[in-house]
Amino acid sequence: MDKTAMPVTPTAKPRLRLVPLLEPRQRVSDRFNVLVYMASLAVATALSVGLLWLAGVAPSDLGREIATTAFSSPRALGSVLAQTTPLIVAGLATAIAFRSSFWNIGLEGQMILGAIFATAVAVWDIGPESLRLLSMALAACLGGIIWIAGPAYLKLRLQVNEVITTLLLNYVAFNLLLHLLYGPWKDPVSSFPHSAQFEPFERLPQLGWQNLNWGLPLAIILAVVLWWVFSKSRVGYLIDILRSNTTMATAVGVPVLGLSVASILASGAVGGLTGFVISAGVEGRMTQDFFSGYLFSGVLIAFLGRNQPFGVVIVAFLMALLILVGQSLQVFFGVPSALVQLVQGIFIICVAASEFFLTYNMHWRSAV
Amino acid sequence: MDFLLNWLVNIPGFATPFALAAMGLIISERAGVLNLAAEGFMLAGALAGVGLMIVGYSPFVALAGSVLAGVAMSFIFAIMAASLRINHVIAGLALVFFAEALTSYIASAEGWTNQAIKGLQPILLGQDIIVYATPVLCALVVWMLNRTRFGLSLRAVGENPAAADAAGIDVTAMRFMAILLGGALIGLAGGYLTVVVSRIWVDGVIGGRGWIAIALVIFARWHPWRVLVGAVLFGCIEALIPRVAALGVDIPKYFLQMTPYLATLVVMVWAAARGTDRWSQPAALGQHHIREERT
Repeated sequence: MDKTAMPVTPTAKPRLRLVPLLEPRQRVSDRFNVLVYMASLAVATALSVGLLWLAGVAPSDLGREIATTAFSSPRALGSVLAQTTPLIVAGLATAIAFRSSFWNIGLEGQMILGAIFATAVAVWDIGPESLRLLSMALAACLGGIIWIAGPAYLKLRLQVNEVITTLLLNYVAFNLLLHLLYGPWKDPVSSFPHSAQFEPFERLPQLGWQNLNWGLPLAIILAVVLWWVFSKSRVGYLIDILRSNTTMATAVGVPVLGLSVASILASGAVGGLTGFVISAGVEGRMTQDFFSGYLFSGVLIAFLGRNQPFGVVIVAFLMALLILVGQSLQVFFGVPSALVQLVQGIFIICVAASEFFLTYNMHWRSAV
Repeated sequence: MDFLLNWLVNIPGFATPFALAAMGLIISERAGVLNLAAEGFMLAGALAGVGLMIVGYSPFVALAGSVLAGVAMSFIFAIMAASLRINHVIAGLALVFFAEALTSYIASAEGWTNQAIKGLQPILLGQDIIVYATPVLCALVVWMLNRTRFGLSLRAVGENPAAADAAGIDVTAMRFMAILLGGALIGLAGGYLTVVVSRIWVDGVIGGRGWIAIALVIFARWHPWRVLVGAVLFGCIEALIPRVAALGVDIPKYFLQMTPYLATLVVMVWAAARGTDRWSQPAALGQHHIREERT
């Protein structure tokens, strides 16, 4: 403010410099949208490949590694698809919440509660054996719903930031899991800290191709259902209105509260289901770290998949590939296991930063 | 009596990282930046501290390195949140994830994981110098925010960026600096956790303390002095956890370890139910400022 009062000396030469002026974009064409998205992926890929090169993996080795991991044999492809399954469900859980602007960062907590509820049904032999698997799945959904209900209530009723509440509940859930696994649910056979092996009828049945189980078709069906809800149904249309302008949505009579509650609880339910898909599908029991890394992957998959169910499926496949390639690089090149996470981190930063180009139109103007 | 003394002596060590991190958060949030990246800055500071100690530097150099690491990490966040005007929630989450990955990668590549370090020695009453410096830093932050032109501009940007812009304050630059300044304190908080408290690096060593600090800021209604009170409260809880068994109370270990997180949730609910946040929260928190076209 003092500066404005300063007398301008006539001898001072006006110095030309360019300053950016930002103008919010009114609308973004699909072409530009895709262009920016691809550019951000290209930058992230280039950075990741460069980083791997520094770590001692030449791009040619990397290419060979990717080809071997995914497409060298049906068996290899089977492993990637098996890894894809829980990632699809995790990505969908996160995408459902993000679509209605609820930042659910509590996926790991919801997965843990889902697994705990499903395991409770298995351990305590609840219900007839023929319905056991279904009861486990439903119990898992219930566990996820219970874990997200608190943050949902606090957000919608008291405007408490859901990022913090959902995230803190992850730590609570993790300690609950450890308590159960080191206490009452310790494996009676080996007394290792994981639950007893599920009975065959408590596990997702095999598909009959490679080591895939019914989790994959289930995940795809879920994606199709969600695609229908989001893109074809009235509810999906209302959610879009809600996301773009809550005030307007209220004014035109959209049941804002009901829709928000439904989406948030659905996100929690699918989060719980992710825990079930891993416990009953992959591990055949509840372990103490089955959930680790899924929060990060789930957010990234939803984010890269633009919260679209089919986008989620595609990105989940690529993420599974990345995870398996990372594992094999760890074995053959001695690259630290955190590398996969770092590549994910690079992608999330690049894609987040690219939002700028979609939101604003930048002009360079000269200023004196 | 022994129990009480033992407990009291340990409180400041646990309270200090909360206080430092929350003060750093206040600086950036008073400038209108919703900072969810604290956990990431703390991880950077924590790893830098351990790494420098292992390489053979003194604790003070290590803590200075933590400060720089916090600034470096907050630089990325500042580019996203202040310059590129990305949604603050997305920018914060992206940064936390990135920081988790980067620190874990560096730690395993350098072999710093699970290596015990010597740590900072106490100077008086069993406390180290950072504990004594924390209230002084707090006073400095209060003075800076309330008594300097810089602080006035910073708060103006957080309350009404359009008016601040019209008054000739560079909103973007101000927010950028607030994030870096906050990042320095948050980085120090992370460094303190590893160099003084845990004296070891394991992945995710911060354990959600960055998020608890965010809740503390809400609890303290964005005032530095009240943050000290909240930090001591949480220090009491954390210092009590390993000592509960000595009291003869039989609570399962893992339920005890939930208490800081549950206490944080209680604090957030209490702060929200009191309903005064709307008035104490910086008015433009989390809002971007775009100057309209001008010629």
